[in-house]
Amino acid sequence: MAKILGIDLGTTFSATAIIENGEPKIIENKEGTRTTPSVVALTKNNERLVGVTAKRQQITNPQNTISSIKRLLGRRFSDKEIQNDKKLLPYEIKEASDGSVEVKMGDKWHKPAEISAMILQKLKQDAEEKIGEKITQAVITCPAYFDDSQRKATKIAGEIAGLDVKMVLNEPTAAALSYGLTKTKGQQILVYDFGGGTFDVSILDIIKDPDTVQVIGVGGDTHLGGDDFDQKVMEWIIEQFKKDQGIDLSKDQLALQRVKEAAEKAKIELSTTLETEINIPFVTSDSSGPKHLFLKLSRARFQDLVKEYIEKSIKLVEETLKGAKLEPKDIEEIVLVGGQTRTPAIQEAVKNLFNKEANRSINPDEVVAMGAAIQAGIIGGDAKEVLLLDATPLSFGIETLGSVNTVLIPKNTIYPVNKTQIFSTAAEAQTSVEVHVLQGERPMASDNKTLGRFILDGIPSAPRGVPQIEVSFDVDSNGILNVSAKDKATGKSQSIRIEGSIGMSKDEIEKMKQEAQAHEQEDKKKKELIEAKNLADNLIYSWEKTSKDAGDKIDENLKKQVQEKIDELKKVKDKDNIEEIKSKTNDLSQIIQKAGAELYKKASEQKPKEENKDAKDAEEGEYRDKN
Amino acid sequence: MKDKKTKRRYKEESKEQEYLENWKRERASFLNYKREEGERIDKVIKFANQALILEILNILDNIYIAEEKLPKDLEKNEWVKGILNTKNQILEFLKNQGVEQIDCLKKEFDPNFHEAVEMTESNSKSGVIIKEIKKGYILNGKVIRSAKVKIAK
Repeated sequence: MAKILGIDLGTTFSATAIIENGEPKIIENKEGTRTTPSVVALTKNNERLVGVTAKRQQITNPQNTISSIKRLLGRRFSDKEIQNDKKLLPYEIKEASDGSVEVKMGDKWHKPAEISAMILQKLKQDAEEKIGEKITQAVITCPAYFDDSQRKATKIAGEIAGLDVKMVLNEPTAAALSYGLTKTKGQQILVYDFGGGTFDVSILDIIKDPDTVQVIGVGGDTHLGGDDFDQKVMEWIIEQFKKDQGIDLSKDQLALQRVKEAAEKAKIELSTTLETEINIPFVTSDSSGPKHLFLKLSRARFQDLVKEYIEKSIKLVEETLKGAKLEPKDIEEIVLVGGQTRTPAIQEAVKNLFNKEANRSINPDEVVAMGAAIQAGIIGGDAKEVLLLDATPLSFGIETLGSVNTVLIPKNTIYPVNKTQIFSTAAEAQTSVEVHVLQGERPMASDNKTLGRFILDGIPSAPRGVPQIEVSFDVDSNGILNVSAKDKATGKSQSIRIEGSIGMSKDEIEKMKQEAQAHEQEDKKKKELIEAKNLADNLIYSWEKTSKDAGDKIDENLKKQVQEKIDELKKVKDKDNIEEIKSKTNDLSQIIQKAGAELYKKASEQKPKEENKDAKDAEEGEYRDKN
Repeated sequence: MKDKKTKRRYKEESKEQEYLENWKRERASFLNYKREEGERIDKVIKFANQALILEILNILDNIYIAEEKLPKDLEKNEWVKGILNTKNQILEFLKNQGVEQIDCLKKEFDPNFHEAVEMTESNSKSGVIIKEIKKGYILNGKVIRSAKVKIAK
């Protein structure tokens, strides 16, 4: 079936996504980036540029480079917003005969929808190239506050670009969809969208009957964004340099360019570090020689610089809540959208207002496009067709030597799934094994839930570690676990079927996970102890076997020394002092190595003798030949 | 009676077909996914160093600026020469990584490679690059940083 493209048609940037193997995936554009600047230009040679190439030539061709067209889309020329924006736009606009807006690019006047269509066309072409099939349908997003005329214009833009627009979806709804928040009915979601140039707040109500998402509040500021943050940092850098060196960098075009880049970089770095260095060598020069700019900007200072913008945004959130007659406590979920929400101070401010963490695990630049793709999947029936596969909430394993829980299927494994592992016996001439099936995250068998046990007997008597028992775990699509054990020598097998192991209650799963976390440290120690004991056991066993095989090849005196060490180890082995076990094991291991070396030495002494004998024979033979 | 049985049989068969078809689809989508992942990994390997190279380029920019601002009387200084040789070492390293510099000066402005930051009156033909402000680079055929340039009005 033909794929439906999800498009986030943004004011400064746009992005596209599609459902692939049941998951939304961002599509890279031709230039290899995941977002495309929403800029269109017509060059002097009448060549149309869209995206980053249009942006790069903006300065040379400002009158014919159209950016932020979304601000004009579906508006009337007489709208207050248009009259305000008019002064800020570098290109010419006028009132059309029907009262709408027209934009001049080259010699022609265009409707904003036509310009948006040019952006959509590039997005469509790049996506087609990337996925290798024709795209004719799309879901396009728009802000929640878009009125009927703006939505219609969005739809028309899609149609001009050759797309059948299946739906014009609200951006906040798309973001909520990405987080799967629309599944829980009856909750209120607040979407805080701090983009490059605009700030939007929307409150969604997920209604159960009919199954819809209703926008119950919108607010924001169309001229508040991340660019303001950059500007503040730039101003700060210039001011510091002036204080320090008495030189005003804002007059120097080249220096200003470097300061701008450094400011953006500092802002990004401060999202993850507490302090950043702003280092611009040779930023300028005067009669005394070159001047370097070196400053340190702490996160606290940065937050202080941009405080007014963050406070403003929070005030707008409060106003929007008030407009919807809601209190912060009425909001069940908060979603952060837009690149600027990576700033920790913003996350903090939102958290403080609502007293809970916001959803921000999905890239905030991509979350809207992803949601559009999910909606497209639902419309296209992809969502219905796609099998929704579940993952195991906890790990499955069996008990092995020393009561250790050996995991075969780790938690979060998508099923149906089958895992097989070979185990062996722990004792000499062991003829049966018990398979103890466990569920849980704790390393010691007894701390986990027992799902079942069975015994596989009839294993031919053999030294420990020789028999091969194949244990296989199979979780079918209904979550039913089948465990089987098979002796590879005889082909004898035994199995158990465990139902309902996956369908544990959410609380039960959560409890087990929390227990695992709480006991992580002590469990680790316990496991280490068992491992140390197992290692000691193995060492003793392997020595006993070697010394028996070697017979009189090992010096009696040495044998006695080893036995002493073994006795010492045996004394501490069953106590729980891990350090002592380790140290005694180490002692034993060293003396065994000595014995081993002796054994090899003896073996190699014997060998050369034999070899020499051969050599001599050959020599004699040669002589004989000569004679 | 028989009719009912045939009907049921038919229904079962079509269900079977549907399951088989779905299984084939799932299998195919897995194989496609594997292939696509392989291609993606190839690309990741090819451009794995991109972020690191971009950081090195930022440092290199400053060395270029230092060189440009070097006073005439220091040009022959052996100490300075030694330091500038370090620059050549970085350039050699970048070359070995598949990084190429974008040609700018006196070229026609091309937004596929260049970003205009200023436009000034000049004797040169309009639209021609008269000054390179920040070098641009290509890695394995892809522009990883466009050159920032000044062009003639």
